[in-house]
Amino acid sequence: MTDHTASHDHTADHDHAHGGIGKYIAVFAALCFLTTMSFLTYSAAWPWRDQPQVGWAFMMAVSCTKALLVVLFFMHVWWEANWKYVLTIPAAMMAVFLVLMLVPDVGMRNRMVSQERALHMARPTDVLLLQEASGAGHAEPAPH
Amino acid sequence: MSSPAIPVPHDHGHGDGHHGHIHLQYQPGLPLTRGKLIMWLFLSTEIMFFAALLGSYIVLRFGAAVWPKPHHVHLSEPIGAFNTFVLICSSVTIVLALEAAKANKTQLAKLGMIATFVLGALFLGVKGYEYQAKFSHGIFPWAPHGLIYERPDLYYGSAVRARLGEPAIIARLKELDEAPVSSLSAAQQSARGNLQGIRKMLTDPKQESFEMAVVADQIAPLPAEGPGGHGAAHGINDAFPWLRLPMVIPGGSMWASTYFLLTGFHAIHVVVGLIVFAVLLGCTLGPKNAGMIENAGLYWHFVDLVWIFMFPLLYLF
Repeated sequence: MTDHTASHDHTADHDHAHGGIGKYIAVFAALCFLTTMSFLTYSAAWPWRDQPQVGWAFMMAVSCTKALLVVLFFMHVWWEANWKYVLTIPAAMMAVFLVLMLVPDVGMRNRMVSQERALHMARPTDVLLLQEASGAGHAEPAPH
Repeated sequence: MSSPAIPVPHDHGHGDGHHGHIHLQYQPGLPLTRGKLIMWLFLSTEIMFFAALLGSYIVLRFGAAVWPKPHHVHLSEPIGAFNTFVLICSSVTIVLALEAAKANKTQLAKLGMIATFVLGALFLGVKGYEYQAKFSHGIFPWAPHGLIYERPDLYYGSAVRARLGEPAIIARLKELDEAPVSSLSAAQQSARGNLQGIRKMLTDPKQESFEMAVVADQIAPLPAEGPGGHGAAHGINDAFPWLRLPMVIPGGSMWASTYFLLTGFHAIHVVVGLIVFAVLLGCTLGPKNAGMIENAGLYWHFVDLVWIFMFPLLYLF
């Protein structure tokens, strides 16, 4: 055990030689490409325009890929020893767990609201109302 | 780096003869420097901090009955994408600065660090410009400045009436009514007509919700979806910015709270990063300080990482 880590200490400096500027530029190009990919859901070619959930899932997948590229290569995690799992995996699990814990109270808050809050909060019908009003407004000749 | 030494009791059969002499047995530490270990521990707490913010945003947003579209709240996707690009570039420059410092190319390392600092400052500048665009449209996260109402109802109507009844506003409205047509643009002329209609309607005690929707739409219309609707500003508030009449953005209050909280905390992290870079710029960026650059870089990549998730969640969803 002692010998093992001692040798690690020795090679710690050499480990980063795996980096290399070419690799960073490749990761950079991939990140730029993925950022433009997020806009794919806005293009006319995107077939699931009436199902926004598909677009959301796609954009989150793109984000996770970008995050993974940054963590693995820019933060050198790809070349680190096994301690990386101890620090990252529990924190990531807590992050997911935290969102799940918020769902019953916060995510589903609109299922049970007090009458007072229901009186003041926005409803989908308000948006329709405003769109109707703006439709009526646009029927008139444009002010410009 | 150096392993903690643990004193080990020993017994060589010499009795108490060796008081000051302790045999040390070295425990193996982690194969990384202490600074880097602390930075990673800090980052793991940061993961949970931003997970809490982003997680509550996701849950609030998808649990909301209504959520404003990006162009309803004057969010510009290209600006967000540009900022994403700026942060990605700054991540590359700091990684290149680290490589240069390790290779003892101090000038090149300094150049990379300066580039990172400039890109970080550019990100903040763009963010400030975006905030200014929100503030100028009356979108604030707090009550006294915020003009956002959730629904075009009677509460909204009374808020508009209260604003129109302020003495300063009454004086300026009088000026506006008497202003000659030639001094007004076409948009201002039609806005003046709409405004006079609204003032007449508000003196009528019998108001209905739908009429309030018309009022809301004439004051600050929600731009229609599609490329033509972007930035189309022809409401009363746009024609006469000094009026600052209350406006209806369904779901807008919660949007403003979450948007400013998330981007605000992210911006604070960017500011801290810039301070660290400024300190590093005062040092010789050679192999001796490579560890410091690496730790600053780890922090900066994390800030980039958070933005990678914030950009689609705030601008594209």
